[in-house]
Amino acid sequence: MINPATLPLLVWLSPSFPVGAFAFSHGLEWAVEAGDIHDADSAGQWLSDLLQYGSGYSDCCSVALAWQAATDVDGDRLRALAELTCAMQPSSERRLEATMQGQAFMLAAHSAWLRPAMETLKPALADGVTYPVALGLVAASHAIPLEQTVSGFALSFISNLVSALVRLGPLGQTDGQRVIAALLPLIGTISHEATAAGLADLGSCAFRSDIASMRHETQYTRLFRS
Amino acid sequence: MLDVISPSDPLTLKSQLPAYIRARGHLTARLQDSGRGTRVFDLSEAGGYRLKFPHADQCEAMIVNTGGGMAGGDHLALSLSLGPKAVAVCSTQSAEKIYRAERDRAEIIATLTLEDTAELAWLPQETILFDGAQLHRQLRVDMVASATFMACETVVFGRSAMGETVHKAQLTDHWDIRRNGKLVFAERLRMAGDIQALLDRRTIGAGARAITTLVYVAPDAEARLEETRTLLAPDDSAPVEWGASAWNGLLCIRAVSTDASALRRQTARFLNRFRQRPLPRVWQC
Repeated sequence: MINPATLPLLVWLSPSFPVGAFAFSHGLEWAVEAGDIHDADSAGQWLSDLLQYGSGYSDCCSVALAWQAATDVDGDRLRALAELTCAMQPSSERRLEATMQGQAFMLAAHSAWLRPAMETLKPALADGVTYPVALGLVAASHAIPLEQTVSGFALSFISNLVSALVRLGPLGQTDGQRVIAALLPLIGTISHEATAAGLADLGSCAFRSDIASMRHETQYTRLFRS
Repeated sequence: MLDVISPSDPLTLKSQLPAYIRARGHLTARLQDSGRGTRVFDLSEAGGYRLKFPHADQCEAMIVNTGGGMAGGDHLALSLSLGPKAVAVCSTQSAEKIYRAERDRAEIIATLTLEDTAELAWLPQETILFDGAQLHRQLRVDMVASATFMACETVVFGRSAMGETVHKAQLTDHWDIRRNGKLVFAERLRMAGDIQALLDRRTIGAGARAITTLVYVAPDAEARLEETRTLLAPDDSAPVEWGASAWNGLLCIRAVSTDASALRRQTARFLNRFRQRPLPRVWQC
């Protein structure tokens, strides 16, 4: 049975939690248009790369670092992390994706899931917050264990992108589920690594993923905002 | 045949030097508007690095590494500050070669400060990583909102024209650009392990052997996105793949290419048209 203390995490990470995740494809819409992603295999490789070398890894580290800063009620550390993760976004649309969901998540959490620590740390987010940092902060405020928070985040990151790919065409529903199932072991490994990460571990080298999000801005027909 | 590095190659020997004779370079300069152009003040140089100013008519700072390349344990700290209205371009005399490191990584730390309406273009020639190289680079920029700053950096992974490949290397490249004290752009590039295998992955390089990152922070940065895309468009079918975006008062271009010299040519052409002033001569060949 799932630990009852962890249940709120399932709520926050569910597609019905109002952060608007369905509107963003993280540049995948361009990768599909360009032919980089065309079937379950190429989709699985792209997503696995994001988890190992790209934004997926870096975002997992951000969740963990925010969780730790919030657990220590350290506003300065949280502010620096929020500022850095906003500044690290590689394009206009990825910045929108990260900060709009971060802001929406904080708004919903403050309305329905408020804890004193969230109130105390609110000023640290005055200049903007990314989604991973918002999630780490709220989870820590609810005493949800660190590794569960990070792996839950990683799974929802992948699920959301698979759902985007299903809507874009290269994956059927069943293939989408197969891709998620095949990535579960990696999600576990990366989440575990991220719990031990320091600020110096943030970063990525997924250049063509970043370029895809830039090229998406001028894509002729688009379903997604990133 | 020139493409085989023998064990007696000076590059290999250099990387085996003991730590106590590794280079620790230092360059500091203050650039100020003199009323008749930008002039250099308080220049200090140490440890095999020189800062040359080859032209009288424009402030072109040229970094010279008299040691020829960097090996593990080598360290360069460079600091340039531009006073109000100072205008300068900074480049390197040659491509910086990063050789195999036995133990410690090579480090380059550049700190750039721009005061009121100062303009700096940071345009070093490419950095070439050899197999076994370890490099940590930091670019820290502190500018006011009225200043104009451009940085363009290219990393080439092995000299593929000479048949070299990079199977084991480590690169971290950190940029922190602050405008009026606020962090507006942060680059956190991290690559380790079998670089060539990484670059072959479609999410990373799809076979690329060279990457370029360009950031332009200026009052007109966002307004120049359309023009930027138009300038880059003719090369779309070349082996160079690029993307451009602008937000929050800055413009960013990223490019990857399987052909390092094609990337260099395209970068030079773009810089010429975008900046509308001559590039340092080292860029023209």
